[in-house]
Amino acid sequence: MSIIEIRNLTFTYPGRERPALDGVSLTVDAGEFVVLCGRSGCGKSTLLRHLKTVLTPHGTRAGDVVFDGRPLASVAQREQAARIGFVLQSPDNQIVTDKVWHELAFGLESLGEPTPVIRRRVAEMASFFGIQEWYDKSVFELSGGQKQILALASVMAMQPDALILDEPTSQLDPIAAEDFITTLKKINDEIGTTIILSEHRLEGALPRADRALVMDGGRIVCAGTASDVGRGLARTGDPMLVAMPTPMRVYLAAEGARADDANTRVPQTVREGRLWLARKCGEDCRSASGRLEPSQQLRETTSAESSEPLEQLHGATNVEPPIAPLASLKDVWFRYGREGRDVVKDLTLTVGAGEFVCVVGGNGTGKTTMLGVITGENRYYRGKARVLGFDPRKAKGADLTNAGLAALPQDPQTLFTRNTVLDSLIDIAAARFETDAATGSARGASGRDGNAGGALSDGNASGERSGKMAAVEAEVRRASGLADIDDLMGFHPYDISGGEQQRVGLAMALLTKPKLLLLDEPTKGMDSFFKEKFAGILRGLIERGMGVLMVSHDVEFCAKYADRCALFFDGGVVSEGAPRAFFTGNSFYTTAANRMARGVFPDVVTAEEIAELLTRP
Amino acid sequence: MGAAGAKANRSIFAGYHPVLNFVFFGYVVLAPIFFMHPVVLAVSFAAAMSWSLYLNGRKGLKFNLCFVLPLMCVAALFNPAFNHEGATILFYIRDNPITLESIVYGVCAAVMIGGVILWFVCYNAVMTSDKFVYLFGRGIPAMSLILSMALRFIPLYRTQAVRVASARRGIGFDAFSGGFLARVRNGGAILSVLVTWALENAIETSDSMRSRGYGLPGRTAYSIYRFDARDRALLVLMLALVAVVVLAIATGTMKTLYFPLFSVRDAQPLAGIAIACHVALCFLPLALDTREDIVQKIALDNRS
Repeated sequence: MSIIEIRNLTFTYPGRERPALDGVSLTVDAGEFVVLCGRSGCGKSTLLRHLKTVLTPHGTRAGDVVFDGRPLASVAQREQAARIGFVLQSPDNQIVTDKVWHELAFGLESLGEPTPVIRRRVAEMASFFGIQEWYDKSVFELSGGQKQILALASVMAMQPDALILDEPTSQLDPIAAEDFITTLKKINDEIGTTIILSEHRLEGALPRADRALVMDGGRIVCAGTASDVGRGLARTGDPMLVAMPTPMRVYLAAEGARADDANTRVPQTVREGRLWLARKCGEDCRSASGRLEPSQQLRETTSAESSEPLEQLHGATNVEPPIAPLASLKDVWFRYGREGRDVVKDLTLTVGAGEFVCVVGGNGTGKTTMLGVITGENRYYRGKARVLGFDPRKAKGADLTNAGLAALPQDPQTLFTRNTVLDSLIDIAAARFETDAATGSARGASGRDGNAGGALSDGNASGERSGKMAAVEAEVRRASGLADIDDLMGFHPYDISGGEQQRVGLAMALLTKPKLLLLDEPTKGMDSFFKEKFAGILRGLIERGMGVLMVSHDVEFCAKYADRCALFFDGGVVSEGAPRAFFTGNSFYTTAANRMARGVFPDVVTAEEIAELLTRP
Repeated sequence: MGAAGAKANRSIFAGYHPVLNFVFFGYVVLAPIFFMHPVVLAVSFAAAMSWSLYLNGRKGLKFNLCFVLPLMCVAALFNPAFNHEGATILFYIRDNPITLESIVYGVCAAVMIGGVILWFVCYNAVMTSDKFVYLFGRGIPAMSLILSMALRFIPLYRTQAVRVASARRGIGFDAFSGGFLARVRNGGAILSVLVTWALENAIETSDSMRSRGYGLPGRTAYSIYRFDARDRALLVLMLALVAVVVLAIATGTMKTLYFPLFSVRDAQPLAGIAIACHVALCFLPLALDTREDIVQKIALDNRS
């Protein structure tokens, strides 16, 4: 019995040539769990929004959407509100009221339910989701993951038949995201609600789904069970393959044509991957010792350090400090306020020129606070810190920025001042130009302070104004070229995807001509393609000698691209090393590929490496 | 609203229906202001002091000693220094007569101000935002939603403003340094980022609201409060007590004159009854809370 049926749906946004949806047909049965994947901008959100009239975008449309046997347009708003639940991306934006209990009741209030009914439903939902403890709390006391669970619960309180979720985990850390997906599976199993979920983080979602759909360019290019979809993508060599879970990728690459047998299940979880690998190596890998020989070097995508002989790397948990560190912290302690607990404890860390250092670790361990210590926003109270020749505790105002430190915030939206990307960049470039001019002429006219010098150069001649504009434009062009955002310049910063926003943020940081760049979770919300592109941009900067310090949850990204990784726990770095040594030394906090191949190929950290070892002649 | 002390969370009186809480605070704040009877003031102050200490514990004591008492002293001295009415001249300061009446009035005013401040301390601990929204948005469902959304957005915007300032600092725009003009420009930029952010993100909020049926006719307002028999009984009692006090005032039984001569009406039976009612009203929450504590303690002792 189908609950949702889409027949040949084509949709074009006003003013666009290319349709956002191009002849999409899809049938979803009652009780199914469907995952929709595809790169940013492939039409996932547009498709999902067609499943509820109030959210459907304006534009030209052809084709039908049928809900429960009737055309969706003829289903009353009241019925749609109750029976089709919709969860959006941002935990903060979709919560409306100030109290958890009020948020849970919101939809039922809209439906005009009397108080006793609302009381019972709200109680049921709070119990089902295990959120009784926060029932009386204000929503701003909740974490991002808790807010997203609350959004889900408040939709479920209306008892929908179908639940539609548009990238609900993209703003969450991996643990909260996993909790969220687990909760979805529980709803699907225990209540039987139909679930349609769009996701770019497929490790958790794919193994739990009944069916997967891959979209590209407004069409569904691949559909079926996760195994079918994996095989289909592998057969056509679709780039979407890189977004699939590690075990799938390894299996499809290693089995080649043999993977085409439609009756076998493609391993999707680390457990399945391990079982398959053990069986496979029983067959034909016995001869291979399972260790990477120094002579048989793998194609290294990472750093100069990891091309050193592996034996040498293994012993070394402490990598030699790089020459002339840009930032060095030694036994640094920090707490918010005198009464607070220590958030950064006994922290020692260095970042050198031309080095990409990644700090990984769980939520709330103090990673972001540490970045604040480096920028001087958080003043440490014990230890010693040196950043670009300054003690960050004593640096004033823009001292550190002028010396070459730039920090990119987690949310680049906090930097967008204007209505276009170009204007936002020009704003910053112009301000930088003035500071440079001010400090420059201050150096020239010794004895004057910076401001007086700036005033002088401003008042000089109107001819300088055009010179300034030219310089500013040249700067903007340089930064936009480096961050690869030339084609985004005319857009409103809110109309581009999260990954593109990160790149615009990066360009803004580059306008300050940094020597040391601090990044806070830049890959959050990025799909696999954007990650690769972002990594390419970063590597380009690093080759030019920039030092990059990134804090992240994204273990796979760090393993693939970092020069050095550090595990942050309880306010300090507990272990660090080159990615290979670092991740093979960890047992749990490591890449899926390493967990999968542990015991068979102890040295691998990425899926490509396992595949290469297996297919090596 | 304000950080409530440990006991505020389990105050029995706070657990009564918000209407009762509100009637109570309305009475205790207005009563001393409208009839400055010295006994009424003293009772009200004593009750406010003891309940605020009960609710807020040591933190409350610190506030009362460091803020309320000094303020009262200033208020008490202020009146005789500037008000020279009254028949009983005690002494002169620089040819200015200091009268007994103005000193008495100053002390009474100080007690009144102190009492009112302390009642507001208790109000803050007991009247949570939920109750406020419930009481003032009751009649119009849309109103309670607007109040609730406002209470959500205020902390949200505050947090975001801090984030924006910190993000801009990271690329060299420190909001707290530089010349005056630079700071003004920086503040303007922060505001502009914040406004754009708020407007853009409001679209998703509005999607979320409409998706959950907002705008359908016949919206109801859910509340977590129920007016039960216990609430009704206490409300009747409170209103009866208030009625007696109001009657006493209306008949002029409790009229107090401060100038030119301080005089309180001779003791009359009605005045005595009214004061007894006032005492009962002011100490009502504390009495309920203390009784509950004792009941709980006995229950616990019996179990062990």
